[in-house]
Amino acid sequence: MAKVVSIKRTLWDALYLPSIIKGLGITLRHFFVNTFTSREIETLRYGEWDLPDYKDNPAKPEGWRGKKKTRDLPDRHRGLHRLMKRPDGSARCTACMMCATVCPANCIHIEAGEREDATSRDIEKYPATFVIDELVCVVCGLCVEACPCDALRMDSQQMMKPVAHRDDAVQQKDQLMSRGATSIAVDGGAGADWRNEYARLGDARQIYRPDRSFSDDPIGYRIRNTDSK
Amino acid sequence: MLTFIIATAIKVVFFVVLFGLTLSAILTWMERRQSAMMQDRLGPVRANIGKVRLWGLLHPLADALKLVVKEDFRPPHAYRALYVLAPMLALLPALLVFAVIPFGPPVCIDQLGAALADVGGMCKPDQLHYLQIANLDIGLLFVFGIASLGVYGAVLAGWSSNNNYALLGGLRAAAQMLSYEVTMGMAVMGIFLVYGSLEPMSIVEQQSTMLDWGIVKQPLGFILFFFAAIAETKRAPFDIPEGESEIVGYFVEYSGTRFMVFYLGEFIEIVFVGTLITTLYLGGWQFPGLASDGFHSFFGFNVNWLMPHWAVVALQMGAFVTKVFIVCFFQLAIRWTLPRLRYDQLMALGWKGLLPASIFNVVLTAAVMLALQSVK
Amino acid sequence: MTMKAQPSKAQPSETQPELVEIAVDGETFSVPKGKNLLEALLDVGEDVSYFCYHPRLSIVAKCRQCLVGLGDGHKLVPACQMTVQEGMKVRSKTEQVREARQAILEFTLLNHPLDCVICDKAGECTLQRQYMDWDGEASLVNHDKVSKPKKVDLGPDIVLDAERCILCDRCVRFMAEVAKAPQLLFAKRGDHTEVSCAPGEQLDHPYALNVADICPVGALTDKSFRFQSRVWDLWSTRTVCQGCAAGCDMELHHKDGDVYRQVPPKRWDLNLNWMCNDGRRTYRQLLEKERVTHPSLGGERTDPDTATTHIAEALQGLIGAEGSPIGVVLGADVSNEDAYAGARIAQVLGARLYLGDRPDDGKGDDILRLNDPNPNRAGVRAMANKDLLNTKALAEALNDGALKALLVVGDGLDLPAPAQRKLNALDLVVLSTPFSSALIKKASVVLPAAAWTEIDGTCTNAAGEVKRMRPAFEPPSHARPHWDWLVRLGVALDADLGFLDAEGAFSEMSANIETFAGASWGDTIPTQRLRFSGRRG
Repeated sequence: MAKVVSIKRTLWDALYLPSIIKGLGITLRHFFVNTFTSREIETLRYGEWDLPDYKDNPAKPEGWRGKKKTRDLPDRHRGLHRLMKRPDGSARCTACMMCATVCPANCIHIEAGEREDATSRDIEKYPATFVIDELVCVVCGLCVEACPCDALRMDSQQMMKPVAHRDDAVQQKDQLMSRGATSIAVDGGAGADWRNEYARLGDARQIYRPDRSFSDDPIGYRIRNTDSK
Repeated sequence: MLTFIIATAIKVVFFVVLFGLTLSAILTWMERRQSAMMQDRLGPVRANIGKVRLWGLLHPLADALKLVVKEDFRPPHAYRALYVLAPMLALLPALLVFAVIPFGPPVCIDQLGAALADVGGMCKPDQLHYLQIANLDIGLLFVFGIASLGVYGAVLAGWSSNNNYALLGGLRAAAQMLSYEVTMGMAVMGIFLVYGSLEPMSIVEQQSTMLDWGIVKQPLGFILFFFAAIAETKRAPFDIPEGESEIVGYFVEYSGTRFMVFYLGEFIEIVFVGTLITTLYLGGWQFPGLASDGFHSFFGFNVNWLMPHWAVVALQMGAFVTKVFIVCFFQLAIRWTLPRLRYDQLMALGWKGLLPASIFNVVLTAAVMLALQSVK
Repeated sequence: MTMKAQPSKAQPSETQPELVEIAVDGETFSVPKGKNLLEALLDVGEDVSYFCYHPRLSIVAKCRQCLVGLGDGHKLVPACQMTVQEGMKVRSKTEQVREARQAILEFTLLNHPLDCVICDKAGECTLQRQYMDWDGEASLVNHDKVSKPKKVDLGPDIVLDAERCILCDRCVRFMAEVAKAPQLLFAKRGDHTEVSCAPGEQLDHPYALNVADICPVGALTDKSFRFQSRVWDLWSTRTVCQGCAAGCDMELHHKDGDVYRQVPPKRWDLNLNWMCNDGRRTYRQLLEKERVTHPSLGGERTDPDTATTHIAEALQGLIGAEGSPIGVVLGADVSNEDAYAGARIAQVLGARLYLGDRPDDGKGDDILRLNDPNPNRAGVRAMANKDLLNTKALAEALNDGALKALLVVGDGLDLPAPAQRKLNALDLVVLSTPFSSALIKKASVVLPAAAWTEIDGTCTNAAGEVKRMRPAFEPPSHARPHWDWLVRLGVALDADLGFLDAEGAFSEMSANIETFAGASWGDTIPTQRLRFSGRRG
């Protein structure tokens, strides 16, 4: 049973003007204190940390009043997508459409193709086209979670740059692959041979948790495997 | 005739382009920087040309450049003609209303060096110029007539975008602007009763001392007008037609140059509201205590500082610009102080709060005027 | 001929079977005596898993997945091999049964490659579903799986992934028992057993694609569907196959306006659960033939009203003329409603009715396919039983010059070349068709019609069953159903055909035409997404 609280509103309250003036008082006080006194504003800076101007010149730039604080993006920052590669340089993606299916914004469009030269150890299915519309993307990261092949990641540590044309924000397969790095996690969809890989890599239960030690990629996942010895 | 055209052209360039557009461009930066200062942030300070940063004052330039070179995108099923027309319809009324705002005292061109006690009387008629683009008898009616056309921009933008959210935003804009226009008109009725004129120049001239200012004679009217005017410009806390971040507004489908026109129109409206409030309630171009030939009293002290005509004009124009700037500052400050009203609250405030209060203000003013007259 | 109401159920056996009581986990049900126990359990809503059982195939009990306990016996038995007897006590929910099914499932998965990622069956796979229902655990076996060929070309339509096969024997039984062409068999032994074609054979039977449907895993897959789309992205529309006069029920699987495949509905009572290869490829005509999308007048594109007004003006002078010089051809590919509208307009015009059909193609067999390639011949015939003249009569009338105007409804008219040339002499040839054909050059007015994937209506198969067709797509541009054009033409002629939509046409038709008296419009089955549709096979 919810407790009912009745608030008595006086005419003074109902006028709102006094409260508005009070509120203006607070905001204006902050404004004047920050503008006309030498108080330093401490704040985290957005983007652009790699501007040479900031990196090489630790002195405050002109117009810069706050304390300089440089920071990196967090390890698990969701940046532009990238497609990972197999050791032979081809895309790890098998066009299983898990990411396209789970995507709440429907921004991933894949057309599957079949590798005619596939040997019995290769995965026959590959993405003929792999398109992500970064303008439509809501950066939720579900596609990365859904990917069974460690093929799609968002850990590129790059933000979407503004574009002059909407088409420029549509990332094609080669653009996505250009950010990619080699991952040697077991390929999803690799046929019955996958268990042989399994034995080669040790404890089976670690395989689907990519760790830095499995990857020559400088910014791999840093999720530690808590239940391994 | 030629003199008139040249003089008008100079006034348009000076007042609308140099003053109006520049100030609104600066306001776009000021809003971001001011809000940042209020919230203990830094705001935009990065835009630079080489090493020149100017506290971020180059941001409006960078923004404009970016928006102009952006893709000219049109939604596939938008109604083309109206979609293109809507931003222009939103901008045009905001620019037109500047025509009747007096931004300085009457100027006598050939006697700029002398101290003129009575400009009207001591100047040849062909040398006398009013610092106002068009001196209309019905200036205020013109202002309201043109300003209310602004609603077409919002509604047509919402409808022609062929987007449900834009359409709803356009409808909200129409409802809000129609509602608050009534209050605005009623609030101005008070000014009309007090000064007995709809001519902005005459209203300003009657506010020669601070005690004659509209804000002193019409305090309630000032507050009503101020809030109704903010609602007319669709700014927070009355920004439900746009609601950039949450409740997508009527120009959601606009980008690039067309969006810039909407955005600029909004800030020009702020400047326009600033000039209008200055004109009606803050003594327009009047500098407190400054007569047309210098100071005769200065904060209660009797002095006799005679000044040349050009200095007086300059001081008074400076006073006008300063007042406008302060009003604009407060309009921005209110946005960063108050939360957005819900739609029903907005309607309730408009129809059940401000409108009755403005009618009360008219009746009260009329009664006081009548009483004062009978006392005389 | 009599028309039966839709949907046509499986023929009930002549004599009512004797009902007996059986107890399933303590609950008592009465089921027909002698019925297959697995079927009976499924009928009473018991959740029994199975791979190899299929009601249209013989019982082999190979997969051992349908194990149940019987009476007090400790040993579990496969339900599919038992028949219902009086007083049977079945255990299906006990821990023992659950464990047994889980263990069998783990055994089945022993050499399964788990490449669901690239498997076309994923999303409708029985093995996937059973794993989720009964196992859900990681495999305990940690040695190498048996590798088998991943891509075996079995024939023109089917590709085999031998690793995925769980050796349920369904395909082998289908080819032997239903197709009566034992092209498939098991080769090798033990865990190296593979499905394979018989030596010197390839899997090219006209019903071969059914093995892709009944395969409970992704071992046998349709070549034309290979890697085209994940099944859960598709949308399913229940409609009727337009490949031949048999009019099989089928599901049209489509996405973004493209058809990806045609499959029989997941019901064992509709057209025996099979469909022929030709039927499954009917959608290809949509891709192969050129669509007519805009009305045209003398070869020039025009708007719908101009077209109908032009026809009405041209026909006005011929109505009631000596020797009825107007002919209306009802193609045997149009729906019942279209044919009824055509018959009504012929009445208004006082025109002679012709049936436009194609000759038998001789592809019929004794499973489903009929020789007659005209999907709705029976329905069109029913519109004017005795007065309906055939194509031969039309050719004769054209030769004699008896006709001055011809209205062709549908794409079904197959006119011999000499008769086609005679069309030039006519004052007016109106062609209402979805597809471009040779006739289009002879037509003075062409009306774009909706194709069979775009119409809501009924058609009648050779057995006299009235079946509902449902639209998967919107017709392109100005295309609309034939009846719609004819209603517009009626308006232009100041004649009221008495209906304004397909259902209205159907109720008019069933009221006015004796043979449709008992027919029903059929259920509304909306187009559904296959995302949560469960398994196929």
